[in-house]
Amino acid sequence: MASPPSVVTPEVVRRIAELARLRVPESELPRWTEQLSRIVGHIDLLKQIPEEAFGSAGSEPATPLRPDVPEPGRGDEALRENAPRELHGFGAVPRVVGSA
Amino acid sequence: MSPDGRPAYGQYGVRQLADAVAGGRSTAVSAVEDALSRIEAADGRIRAFLEVTPEAALAEARAVDARVAAGERPPLAGVPVAMKDNMWVAGRKTGCASRILEGFRPPGDSTVAARLRAAGAVFVGRANMDEFAMGSSTENSAYQVTRNPWDLERVAGGSSGGSAAAVAARFVPAGFGSDTGGSIRQPAACCGVVGFKPTYGRVSRYGLVAFASSLDQIGPMARSVGDAARLYRVIAGVDPRDSTTADVPVGDPEGAVGRGVRGLRVGFLREAEEEGLEAEVSASLDDARRIFRDAGAEVVSVSVPRTSVSISIYYVVASAEASSNLARFDGVRYGPRKSDADLASLYVETRTAGFGPEVKRRILLGTFALASGYYEAYYGAAMRARQLLRDDFDRAFGQADVIVCPSIPSPAFRAGEKTDDPLTMYLSDVFTVPASLAGLPAISVPSGLTAGRLPLGVQILGPRFGEEAVFAAARAFEEGAGFPDDVPPAAAG
Repeated sequence: MASPPSVVTPEVVRRIAELARLRVPESELPRWTEQLSRIVGHIDLLKQIPEEAFGSAGSEPATPLRPDVPEPGRGDEALRENAPRELHGFGAVPRVVGSA
Repeated sequence: MSPDGRPAYGQYGVRQLADAVAGGRSTAVSAVEDALSRIEAADGRIRAFLEVTPEAALAEARAVDARVAAGERPPLAGVPVAMKDNMWVAGRKTGCASRILEGFRPPGDSTVAARLRAAGAVFVGRANMDEFAMGSSTENSAYQVTRNPWDLERVAGGSSGGSAAAVAARFVPAGFGSDTGGSIRQPAACCGVVGFKPTYGRVSRYGLVAFASSLDQIGPMARSVGDAARLYRVIAGVDPRDSTTADVPVGDPEGAVGRGVRGLRVGFLREAEEEGLEAEVSASLDDARRIFRDAGAEVVSVSVPRTSVSISIYYVVASAEASSNLARFDGVRYGPRKSDADLASLYVETRTAGFGPEVKRRILLGTFALASGYYEAYYGAAMRARQLLRDDFDRAFGQADVIVCPSIPSPAFRAGEKTDDPLTMYLSDVFTVPASLAGLPAISVPSGLTAGRLPLGVQILGPRFGEEAVFAAARAFEEGAGFPDDVPPAAAG
């Protein structure tokens, strides 16, 4: 019996690449689609677990919080040092609001 | 001692070296000089390190010697360590073997590095890894492929392949890696060293660059179980900077090493034996069964039925978390920026140029699993199946104190063999992923060499926070297995 068509189509890859802020050139689209289809095909083994096997989802314990006591920060200098572009002591990005 | 009368540091384990330095019979400086000269002599072939930092290491070694002279006895005095390139070490770069983090300098020590520093360890360099810890062969590093010290044609495993190879090659007695789905245990098995992943929540992840936050855990690699126990003891324990660390007493892992296994229930994982194992892997399990019986353990068989879908669960959960965690790498705050035209192209061009193919594949897969229309069928289903797997383990630990299975389905493969076939590469994690998904402590101990003289490993899993039983069983197995103490050929030659 032929396997069902994969849910991963070139159109889906284009869409998720856009969501992930990655550029996938059209020439590479068939290869990405084929690889991701095979991986998702393996992941589809999860569908073999019968629905009745699942109980109610276990609740995770609440994340513990540390005491809210101010501490000196350690990041300012590192932030400046690592910034790809710095202007007047701040990290700079392209203009976001208004025109240049 | 070597023939010229110098201490044979390369043969020293962690405890032997630290005790010699702390006891004044050796110095941190001479131990670090020895490590640096070994790296200089053979790392051109093995390529375990992305960067070696001799000046900083020698300065740290001198500081340790001064502490010892002042009467301190730190538990890792003068021990040179290899840190995987995804953990912050103050004054060094952290790059995750990725172009996107080129030149990044962390704001200080990770909690693990701070604890190692306080214990007298010395950082000699950044160990190679698969980019962002995504891979099983260290071939996904943006910079170099680490070779297996037992056979330079073969990979060292991954993702912590640099740390594993550095320990196996006798460059350093201790390495640190991170394990998300087997990234400490799998390369340890490939290289013939001990690799230990603690219970999720035992070791702080502060200063570890996140891959999959519900799975990532830092752990040690060393040439003996006892050494791994000491290294683990130093880094373990609650940390206010990581809210997932658990306030559960660490106990006495080093003491547990000598405790033996008389009366311990050792469960062999039925599903692993039904996998159609390679003959030599299967034989290593038969040996393990005999070793545990001879040591006085009660050997039983246990079942964890959802082992069969653990790779499926893992590649949904880990990729989904990775796609979210790696969204921060966008060219705004660090790393080389590829476009300043507008904000959208800044993000897209920086990420497209900065990430390698495997990282992109995981981000795309994770984005898919979380996308509207697919979320419930993939991420939702994987999370529910993950709970079933945890329930399976809870039941199995009702029948056994520790669980045994292989670490790797076959010995280290040839470089390039699986690079075009990501799914086959993923399946090499089949035995390590279940413990990661359930948050369990697990150790890989070298079990012997194949006929082709390649290492294999046996894995021992414990219940959550059951590290002491894991170390006791691991030492009993290590003693019985008697892995050869030979220097691997590529490091010796």
